[in-house]
Amino acid sequence: MERKILHSVTGLFNTPDEIIKAAKEVNKAGYKKFDIHTPYPVHGLEKAMKLQRSPLGYFAFVLGATGAALALFFMWWTMSVAYPNNIGGKPFFSLPAFIPVTFEVTVLLASVGTVISMIVIFFKFPNNSHPLHDTDYMKAVSTDKYGLCIESNDPNFNLEKVKNFFSSIGAYNITEIYWDNEELNTKKVIFEPKFVIGLISIAIITSGITYYLLNKLMFMEPFSWMMKQQKLSAQAMTTFFQDGFSMREPVVGTVARGFKPYPYPADSVILAENNLINPLEYTEENLNAGKAKYNTFCSPCHDYHGTGQARLNGQFPNPPSLHSDRARNWKDGHIYHVITMGQNTMPAYNKQLSEKERWQIVLYVRALQRALNAKEEDLQ
Amino acid sequence: MSQDNLVLYEKKELPGKLTIIGLAILILGIILTVLAFSTDTLRASYNLILSLTWIYGIGLGALFLVALEYIVGADWSVPFRRVTEIVATLIFVVPILSIPLLLNLDTVFVWLNPELLKADKYIAGKVPYLNQDFFVIRTIAIFIIMFIFYYLLVGRSFKQDKTKNPNINRLSVKLSALFMPIFAICITVISIDWLMSLEPKWFSTIFGVYYFAGSVLAALSLITFISILLAENGYLSKYLTEDHYYNFGALMFAFTNFWAYIAFSQFMLIWYANIPDETLWYMTRGNEGWFAVSIGLIIVKFAIPYLALVTRPSKSNQFRLKIIAVWVFLAHYYDLYWIVMPEYTRKTAEHTPVYSWFELSVPILVIGLIWVVFTFVGKNKNLMPIGDPKFRKGLEFHL
Amino acid sequence: MSTTTDIVYEPSVIEGKPALAKVDADIIKPMNELPNKKFLIAISFTLTLLLIGAASLAYTFYRGVGVWGNNNPVGWAFDIVNFVFWVGIGHAGTLISAILFLFRQKWRTGIARFAEAMTIFAVMTAGLFPALHTGRPWLDGYLLPYPNQHSLWVNFTSPLLWDVFAVSTYFTVSLIFWYIGLVPDFATMRDKIVNNSVVNKIKKTIYSVLSLGWRFSNRHWSHYEMMYLVLAGFATPLVLSVHTIVSFDFAVSILPGWHTTIFPPYFVAGAVFSGFAMVQNALIIIRKVYDLEYIITLDTLEKMNKIIIVTGMMVGYAYAMEFFIAWYSGHDAELFAFINRAFGPYAWSYWIMVSCNVISPQFFWFKKLRRNIPFMFIIAVFVNVGMWFERFVITVTSLSRDFLPTNWDYYVPTIFDFGLLLGSFGFFFTLLLIFTRTMPVVSIAEVKAVAEGSQPAHHGLGHKEAH
Repeated sequence: MERKILHSVTGLFNTPDEIIKAAKEVNKAGYKKFDIHTPYPVHGLEKAMKLQRSPLGYFAFVLGATGAALALFFMWWTMSVAYPNNIGGKPFFSLPAFIPVTFEVTVLLASVGTVISMIVIFFKFPNNSHPLHDTDYMKAVSTDKYGLCIESNDPNFNLEKVKNFFSSIGAYNITEIYWDNEELNTKKVIFEPKFVIGLISIAIITSGITYYLLNKLMFMEPFSWMMKQQKLSAQAMTTFFQDGFSMREPVVGTVARGFKPYPYPADSVILAENNLINPLEYTEENLNAGKAKYNTFCSPCHDYHGTGQARLNGQFPNPPSLHSDRARNWKDGHIYHVITMGQNTMPAYNKQLSEKERWQIVLYVRALQRALNAKEEDLQ
Repeated sequence: MSQDNLVLYEKKELPGKLTIIGLAILILGIILTVLAFSTDTLRASYNLILSLTWIYGIGLGALFLVALEYIVGADWSVPFRRVTEIVATLIFVVPILSIPLLLNLDTVFVWLNPELLKADKYIAGKVPYLNQDFFVIRTIAIFIIMFIFYYLLVGRSFKQDKTKNPNINRLSVKLSALFMPIFAICITVISIDWLMSLEPKWFSTIFGVYYFAGSVLAALSLITFISILLAENGYLSKYLTEDHYYNFGALMFAFTNFWAYIAFSQFMLIWYANIPDETLWYMTRGNEGWFAVSIGLIIVKFAIPYLALVTRPSKSNQFRLKIIAVWVFLAHYYDLYWIVMPEYTRKTAEHTPVYSWFELSVPILVIGLIWVVFTFVGKNKNLMPIGDPKFRKGLEFHL
Repeated sequence: MSTTTDIVYEPSVIEGKPALAKVDADIIKPMNELPNKKFLIAISFTLTLLLIGAASLAYTFYRGVGVWGNNNPVGWAFDIVNFVFWVGIGHAGTLISAILFLFRQKWRTGIARFAEAMTIFAVMTAGLFPALHTGRPWLDGYLLPYPNQHSLWVNFTSPLLWDVFAVSTYFTVSLIFWYIGLVPDFATMRDKIVNNSVVNKIKKTIYSVLSLGWRFSNRHWSHYEMMYLVLAGFATPLVLSVHTIVSFDFAVSILPGWHTTIFPPYFVAGAVFSGFAMVQNALIIIRKVYDLEYIITLDTLEKMNKIIIVTGMMVGYAYAMEFFIAWYSGHDAELFAFINRAFGPYAWSYWIMVSCNVISPQFFWFKKLRRNIPFMFIIAVFVNVGMWFERFVITVTSLSRDFLPTNWDYYVPTIFDFGLLLGSFGFFFTLLLIFTRTMPVVSIAEVKAVAEGSQPAHHGLGHKEAH
């Protein structure tokens, strides 16, 4: 005969009123380690058992607030710091647009977190090896009876006294519940070898499948169809054309949109300067535009003030100063022509600057020249 | 059973002193309003619109709550229905408030300005709806319709005290069902006419719902405050419990969330699409000093009531509920101030928010009106619907 | 007194006063029997629909999304209409289980479990459509924000992304809510099994695992009740937010007919409206087939019809407001959009929508019709049709004729669009039918809790001290 260890004594009742009364009696008799089992929650039983209010509400609040903070922080970081994008002109941190996701994450974290806390912390589930499982008591209580169970580790526990107590409050089917031997050896599941091996194999299988799916399958047909298209890519080689290039040159004689032929060859400066008149006025807008383009394109060699001592520092031959008398006496058309066609080491800028932009630079150069050659009447 | 012979409610008269205090406040309010009109008619008219929409919303909100109780067959609210019905009587005050405005519509409403109509084709296009005659007809028609429903729902309920006829309930349920869609249209028209047309270029399909949410919240908070105050001082039944008050707290919480949801939807959609005809309303409330007021609205009307009511115990604690109810009631004033007054300050030179004795006349007038109406109507009447067959079941309610 | 009983005393949630053990037996019965002929016919029908859907899907994968009718200017059609339709259906379930729980309406207990299951299956069905309409659904992982080698993040300001978060949160929370409700029922079923055969041993293991070891301890019930309240409290704003965010898909645009501020509450009301109609249809069949008429009572069905007419009127209010403000705004494009709906090339769909959504629920003003089961079944079908057409009208009509007349065109769905629509119904109903035979259709524990005599006698007036 195996020595069985007593877990508790149980008794059944037939009506909800009886179980409420029983709860009050148990408390009066001074038992602390007891529990009541009902097929559904009975109103007023919490109070009768003198149970504390469940703190899960606070869990939910804290988890929800955490969720909100996490969501907002994440969105702020990704949208304003890590990779800001101008989307429809909206600000990088657009709080009205972030509210929906914040709300959803709040609810998600609060709900899932509270449920998991309840199951793991408060219930200590899953636990299918409790002594009450598979007993007639449990069968009755899960259908239509109400039960009281006083555990043997209660300080006031005495087998006979407890059994008499049950009879006195009107319970029937007073049974003793014993631990099954397997149930006694409950170690923490986490350390059992079966569980650990199971976890490791799940990890390996999951990562294996993920690796295969994302690194191998996505590159196989038909998932690769979008990647492998019939059309030629600009930088790729091809056997279709003899020279092996996918990129083709435009047909001879193709002109760009807005192209206007420039009639003055590079060396006919006199012709250019006599025929080209600056069409732009000296407005603030033109001067500012000219300044912006000058600073971008001209200042590396000519310097911001046109002195020629630029930040190239002689690595490339320094151009002469734009403030010499010779430069000042050039006509506007001459400057325009030099910008367009280049001269000596200076390259042609006709492909980089539009006509209007070149004229605006001309205006700005004139302004620079006047700035270093100011006269008395300029101050009026 | 011994419980059958219990006296559920003992009628206790409201003290006469209460009426006198109310009258004093009301007279002060009237004096301030009249003074305001003689000093600056434009500003006073805007403030009067504020008073009107505030009181109208409370009165109609209360009537809505009466009908709602009938339709859903709620038990817990039956003991408080008489208080709700007395609050609904406020709708009779609104015609008086509206007279100074109806006689001077063109002071406030720019859609009566002929130059503006010539200049702006969008506003001119609304003339079939926004014109003086139709406006007055709508206003009067809604008064009449709501007065009829008041008589049908509330008047018969008063009668039921004596006759104890259960058929009154049956018919009231049907009438309440009929009332609801008519109420929806009326409160939408009120919000469009008095509030949305202050800026005739602007439009929002959700505005009726927004005004409805705020008004029901204001009515609910007023009813909560009055009910708890009366119950504490023995004017209602001694069998009322914390469970009854919990429902008030829960409803205030729910409607606060609902209002915030509607307010946010309206704002976010208009912000996102960025269409000038719609954003102009929010721009008015985002410029100069109004931006701080707008942020304040979120805090005052949503954040604080939400945090104050989120836990279960706070929803049933009578003391806290009274304070929160007063807060929410005044928060609705804040909301209406934020809707109405920026349209006034747009017409001024500085555009900044204004607050002085002009604006103070509004809460004084409104509180005075509520006080006087309640004490006047509640005099000699039962403060609970003792003739309702569900009266006892309502008192027995527990969570 | 008989004259006041109907006003004062509500009818019992469960008819008669059944023994609790009988309730158990009735609800668990289908799970222990082999399927009968009616069930097999039903499931073969739904599986056929599902197969049609699968075939359409396979062809869509093979040839690409171009086989659908979507094109310029109608870039969204059946895909989004079906998505919104099914998400809406799901909302009725959460409303019944969460919102009616918060309002302490006991009549929800008979239908809550079934409604929650419907929610989950409806959300699964709905989620298929956004996943598929991306064109290359195998890359849908990019919809979620995870660190990647492109340093790319999702666009948090886009309502399409809000949808991803909303629908996945909704699915997760509904699943948890449903599962938590099932735990005590799994435990009940676990305790009823006798270990006398291999099949039963397997069943017992499955139920033991699924019930997590639930012991019906009251210390656990008190946490459970709090948890349920918290979940219901979260699920309520969640369900409102999900369909609100779905409405944002349309309302944040500048398209006339789409950009209108009333969309959020209008969509939510419409979702409840169509969802309840679908629940109504399903429940009428279930209660007959599984003999649960004393639990899913006629009073319950009548209450659902009242909700249908209320939400139907809200939808009607929104129609009226949209139309009035379209005129009031003074914008030609807005007013045209609404006149076009009623009298343009899609007028046939508009009038189907109006007659099904606004006119047909009006019959429920009459008590006799509210309590007539064949009639309410037909009206519920009409409501479902009408609500599908409402989403069609909103999406397709507004897109087919927007600002520039040169871009106007008429959208025609292809056979694969219809195939996927039918397939979605097949998917949903197949899952539902399987559910009815593998899990308890009614929540056993909740129903027992509201049966007569199951709670201690009321203490009458003022048993709690009022401070």
